[in-house]
Amino acid sequence: MSLSPSLPLTRDADGALALSRQALLKAGGVAALVAIGLLLTAAFSLGPYVVTGIADGSVYALAALGLVLTYKTSGIFNFAIGAQAAASAYVFYSLRDTAGLPWPVAALLAVALVGLVGSFLLERIAFWLTGASAAMKVVAAIALVVLLESVLTGVYGVATIQFTAFLPSRGVHLFGVTILVSQIIEFALAVGATFGLYLFFKRTRLGVSMHAVVDSPTLLALEATNPVVVRRYAWAIGSCFISVSGLLLAPALGIDVNIYLLVYIAAFGAAAVGAFSSLPITLAAAMGIGITMNVMSDKLSGQTNTVLAELYTQIPFLVLVAALLFVPKAKLITRGADAVRKLRPATTFPAPVVAMGTLVGVGLALAVPFIVEPAFVNQYTTGIGFAVVFISLGLLLWTSGQISLCQMAFAAIGASTFGHATAAGWPWLGALAVAVLVAVVAGWLAAIPSFRLSGVYLAVATFGFGLLLQNLIYPTFLMFGQSDFVNIPRPQLFGINATSDRAYYFVALVVAALCALAVVGLRRSRLGRLLRGMSDSPLALEAHGANTRLTRLYVFGAAAGIAAVGGVLIGGVTQSAGGTPTGPFGYFNSVVLLAVLAICGSQPILSPVIAGLLFEVVKIYRPFSSAWFSKYEGVFFGLGALAVALAPGMRLSFAGRRTAARDGRSPVTERTRLALPPPVRVSSPGAHP
Amino acid sequence: MIEVQPDLEVDGLTVQFGGLVAVNGVTLNAGAGSVTGLIGPNGAGKTTIFNACTGVVPCHAGSVRLGPHDLGHLSTAGRASHGLGRTFQRMELFDSMNVTENVALGPEAFLAARRPWSQLACARNQRRDIRARTKEALDRCGIAPMGRQRVGDLSTGQRRLVELARAMATPFHFLLLDEPSSGLDVVETERFGQIISRFVAETGIGILLVEHDMALVSGVCSYIYVLDFGNLIFQGPCAEVLSSETVRAAYLGSDAISEGEASQVASRA
Repeated sequence: MSLSPSLPLTRDADGALALSRQALLKAGGVAALVAIGLLLTAAFSLGPYVVTGIADGSVYALAALGLVLTYKTSGIFNFAIGAQAAASAYVFYSLRDTAGLPWPVAALLAVALVGLVGSFLLERIAFWLTGASAAMKVVAAIALVVLLESVLTGVYGVATIQFTAFLPSRGVHLFGVTILVSQIIEFALAVGATFGLYLFFKRTRLGVSMHAVVDSPTLLALEATNPVVVRRYAWAIGSCFISVSGLLLAPALGIDVNIYLLVYIAAFGAAAVGAFSSLPITLAAAMGIGITMNVMSDKLSGQTNTVLAELYTQIPFLVLVAALLFVPKAKLITRGADAVRKLRPATTFPAPVVAMGTLVGVGLALAVPFIVEPAFVNQYTTGIGFAVVFISLGLLLWTSGQISLCQMAFAAIGASTFGHATAAGWPWLGALAVAVLVAVVAGWLAAIPSFRLSGVYLAVATFGFGLLLQNLIYPTFLMFGQSDFVNIPRPQLFGINATSDRAYYFVALVVAALCALAVVGLRRSRLGRLLRGMSDSPLALEAHGANTRLTRLYVFGAAAGIAAVGGVLIGGVTQSAGGTPTGPFGYFNSVVLLAVLAICGSQPILSPVIAGLLFEVVKIYRPFSSAWFSKYEGVFFGLGALAVALAPGMRLSFAGRRTAARDGRSPVTERTRLALPPPVRVSSPGAHP
Repeated sequence: MIEVQPDLEVDGLTVQFGGLVAVNGVTLNAGAGSVTGLIGPNGAGKTTIFNACTGVVPCHAGSVRLGPHDLGHLSTAGRASHGLGRTFQRMELFDSMNVTENVALGPEAFLAARRPWSQLACARNQRRDIRARTKEALDRCGIAPMGRQRVGDLSTGQRRLVELARAMATPFHFLLLDEPSSGLDVVETERFGQIISRFVAETGIGILLVEHDMALVSGVCSYIYVLDFGNLIFQGPCAEVLSSETVRAAYLGSDAISEGEASQVASRA
């Protein structure tokens, strides 16, 4: 796999250079596209939007190049590029606006601090993740996002910081269009970076080494080149690109880490179109995304339907999902997948221990409403709802080896469908069944990418799926509507009124217990065995006749259905549900859930229960109820998940060092050293008298 | 009474990776009730033929038939459910499971392919069948005592036996075994050969065996195909292959192939 394109020159039989037919076709295609673009631009007077689009695309391209470079040299998909870029912008703001440094100095320091120093940390993380399973790599990357988002919002607040332009903003007139100097600089930076990287890979020893470290770090080491050093350079270059892009975006967007996280999906989309490999295609895709977004924003500006009017903001997510669905599978190679430390299966406890633990757990759960303050009962009920969502995530992640970053979207589908069904007069249980069925269908849709994708690519695809649902479907009548609200009534079951907090807690507990039993039953069924087999070796399963696509459909459907139940239970606490990004059904919660579950282990029921308590209940008690903790809870979740993901690699690394040190002073080595005669000092011939 | 099992017929199989022709128009016929060898130096295309036969890599040309069934248009799972089983050179085991669970999941996955809903639950008679097949395969391969051990903790040789047992427990009609003796010592290899021979004699199914260990090949194979650089360079009974200059040249790197041998290859192909 090549990081840069091959030259469009091949040698013919006589050794003469000749343009390859394929390269000519590619060049012709690009020229035709550019010509069509120019014609359309002139015909519809789109010049200003195209110029702005190219400038925006250039910034996305810089970030996407950084992402591709680091992913291909380390196998770690840096989900945190948005947070990293935001960090650079925040530091830039602190240095320029708060400390009063001149902007060039502030910019350089910001890039050095966040780009270079950050790259060192990221390279270490990537090193410790070498050989880790895809799930753990995703957990680590997600943990970084959660950690950085929490630190940045904790330090700088959640409000968007307005940021004045720092690049020259005077205009240049060209073909009747005014182009800002800052836009020219952004374009030059992106094209220069792509061309520079191209030459770097072709002409420099380090660039060639980066090709090699992609394919085989061991072979590179055997050629006396340290792969760690090569990767460090790759991370430094990639991180600096991301940092620079963060600075460039600040004047247009303001500085807000949550906005940056979303905007940088455009970089994910561009990198996906380039199959996380080709630099020029990545550049072109980023430009295309930028132009399309700007042109569509103009064309849709008159729309009264807000979903349609905001459709242009969804282009990056659409591109991301479409690229992952249609880029040839052979091009989406998972790097570093060969030397995988497979996930250890969850410890199986003896039956008496399980029975005793279950009895104690159920007893405590039944006692909760009577021993905690009445005001806290609802928090426990929410914890139960989240525990059910965690159970569904655990089923996907730990049992079947599939990764989902859209679990709260399934919960939202459940809650909204339940709300609509009860509004239409369905009884509570009937509405719950409908909610589950609709979520199962959504789960099947989300499973489609898993037919061709796994590991980090599947994580990215489900992340995109969740974002699309949040932005395109949540605000429609199908889910929460323009009012962003559906009513989630509490049940009146079998003549018993369960609308009080305490009664609803018991209903939630019973429903959660049934979900847990269903998962235990599923794991013991044939499907459960097939899921475990698929997690270990999908190829072996297929080679024995099992259709793993069907298995994936079943598990995604089951997980979505269970998550929907969780969503209904969560919504029932406040008796309402909405789709605001910061609410319980926001896309970011899907990301945090994965980090929290990773901290709590891989037990199918116990871990989700602990995760539910950790996520929702712990925060009501001191010292976790303090404002400081709630501000920085993401730091704890992020650090915890990072520790879980990195621990095996760190242990191996430190054990290796200890072994090396021990080898140096082992009894055998010591004896050998003492047995040797002392070195003979040989004087130079000239020293003889 | 032994059930009549189908032959595997590969006709004009060609596999390309971009511009590289990994397998070039290979035709071979592996009969039921016997072990057929497929040998050749590293990189000759043996595993690629297995991958093409089982649908793991796409064929550029040619056909693969198992008895009356043309498998060419089927997926890997589809070919397996038609009865074409295999083991892998780089072992594909369910590492989180123990030996018994690994072996049992072979027939279970096979039975799960019958209907779309067969994946959801297992009928009682199927459970009995799986248990009986698993026990028989574990006993046949001599790994019953280690049934509760996790396969991730076993040695390479033991893992090979688990993979073989899993394939034997599954009701396949034909087996492709890819370097099953690599990682085994001399004694284990000899025992391995006995297990294969007995299995073929008792069940009547055919085996196509890719193997580097010539002692094993000559011990169990009745007919051998020899590959080099994706081309079939020789075929014949074991003794004939072992004495062939063409085969020696392919293995030892000599390019001195007699004209007589070359014409013999051409006439057989």
